[in-house]
Parts: sequence; C-alpha cells; structure tokens
Amino acid sequence: MDETLQELENELKRLTPRRPSPGLMQALEHELGREPAVDHPPQYRTATSLHSWKWAAWSLAGVAAAIAVIAVVRSSPQSAKAPIPVVAYTGQPAPTQPVAIAVNRYQPVKASSVLYDLKEDGAATLPDQTEGRQVRYRYVDTYTWKNPATKASLRWSVPRDEVRLVRASLD
Amino acid sequence: MERTNEQHSWKKWIEAHGPKLLLCARQWTRSLADAEDVLQEAFVRYWRHQRQLPGDPQALIITSIRRAALDLARREDRRTAREEQAGGGIEADQLVFERLPGEGDERRAEIEVALQRLPAEQREVLVLKIWQEFTFEQIGEALGIPPNTAASRYRYALNALRQQLEPLCHG
Repeated sequence: MDETLQELENELKRLTPRRPSPGLMQALEHELGREPAVDHPPQYRTATSLHSWKWAAWSLAGVAAAIAVIAVVRSSPQSAKAPIPVVAYTGQPAPTQPVAIAVNRYQPVKASSVLYDLKEDGAATLPDQTEGRQVRYRYVDTYTWKNPATKASLRWSVPRDEVRLVRASLD
Repeated sequence: MERTNEQHSWKKWIEAHGPKLLLCARQWTRSLADAEDVLQEAFVRYWRHQRQLPGDPQALIITSIRRAALDLARREDRRTAREEQAGGGIEADQLVFERLPGEGDERRAEIEVALQRLPAEQREVLVLKIWQEFTFEQIGEALGIPPNTAASRYRYALNALRQQLEPLCHG
C-alpha cells in the first residue's frame, strides 16, 4: 500500500462513529430491562426438555432397572447364603444388621439445548407449493443424570440439526 | 441485585461497542433510524440467545445485524437508495461520525459524503476493516466472500475514496 493510502487509512481511523441515540437505549431498556437475571445458558424447550414425556419414560426405565437389580440381588443363592463377617468373637451374639444394597439409581436432573449455528440453506418450495426458504438450526443437546447415593453423574451431549421451512414474506 | 448487574452488563456492552456496530448497520440500511432498528433487533437477539455461544461475539452480532438489515431492505423495497441519496449531501441527523472541532469537521463531512458514494460492497468491507478492526478472514466470513476478495475490495475502496477526496483537498 502506498504512502497516501496509508495516510488516508490513518485519517479514517481517527474518525469516531457516533453513539446510538437515547431512543435506542430506551428501546433496549424496554426490551432487556424486564429480562429475568440469568447467568446460565438459555434453555430451549425441545422434545427432550425436562417436562417432556421422554423424561417420564426415562425415569420409569430407571426405576424398572433398579427394581430388577434389587430382585436379582435378593434372589441370588450366593447372597442368601453369604456369611455375615465377624471380626472378633466376644462371647455375645452378634447383632444382626441390615445389609445395605447399593443401587445405581441415576435420575435425570438437567437438560439443555444450545443453539450454536443458524444457516440459511436458500430458497425452498413449501408443501403447498408456495415460495419459502429453508433455515437450518444446529443445536447441541446435553442431558445430565445423577446418582444421589454416590453423587456420581453422567452427562451425554449429542448434536442435533433442525430444518425449518419458513414462508416467504411478501409484505 | 443480580438484575441490576445484568442491566449494567448490557449497558456497558452497548456503550463500548454500540457506536461501531451502528456504523456497520448504517452501511446496510437506508437511514440512521433503520440502522438503529436493526441494531436493536440484532442486539436483543444476541443478548437473549447467543451470548453464551462460542466464538467472537462481534462476528456473531455483525452477522445478525447484516441479516436483519437485509430482511428490512426486502420489506421496504418500494423505496430505493437512489431516491434517498438524491441531492448528494447528508442531513445532520444522518451523520455517522462524531463531529470534530473547527476545520476538521469539514473534512469529516467530506469523508462522510465520499463514503456514501462508494459502491456498497466496497463500503461494507472498508467499514468492517477500519472501524470494526476485522481481519480480511473475519470480513470474508461475515460477508460470505473469500478473504482475497475482501482485501481487493478494501484497496478499491481506499483508492476510490482518495480520488474523491483529492479534488476537495487540492482544488
């Protein structure tokens, strides 16, 4: 770049863009001033949200699995015949204590869906043969389960694409 | 308290970046009022839904502003930019840079007029490079053009500006 262009570039850089008008700030205040204060990522209601029927199904499956584990443990001949360990004989009968059975009961505790990309795929024809455009929303859905007994947690993230057909606006 | 912090947070953000973003928005709109409208729309969308997303927030919001401006232009296609630019001057309420003291302000006004006369595809690159301080790669990504094309448009824009401004300086 020659010297005069460099000078012009520097001159342009010295210009300060004007500030937004008070009207814009008021409009933003109106829009964002009533926002609830949140520091976590926005939660999108999807088919996998906590209120969805899918979570009820997962919960039921978890309970069923836990019951099955308990049933297997109790019906096992080894567990029925397992001797109670005795550390030392004191001459008195050892008190019988209930055997704690550790059951892995993971419960769904959190689901989130983060929109990380939004792309215009271009023009498309809608099923009713009208003109429209195809928009692709790309999410990462994350589900978290937690075992309250062991405090262990399990997190599963899966990408999801959602393609929407939007009718072209003619007004 | 959290809510107050939240409000301070977006206000700080818009105070810091609002002027540059407004200048960018103005390149894709037909008036300063339209530019403020698209900035408002894009900023509210960003603040509510996109600020937790990875990546450069400036790039995200510039893309959002451009998209909002294009949507607005489609809705208002009865009016033409040619009609609005008739007369060659710029009304005081349409100035995009802060006024400068003394004689410097005449030069600022000349630059504003010269900028408006640039082809839109050169002007947008120039604004993103000079005032948004984007690299050519970032500009290419924001505008959907190769970085080399962005670089050549930038050089064309500077040359065209120099040609427009030189007669004013020396004639």
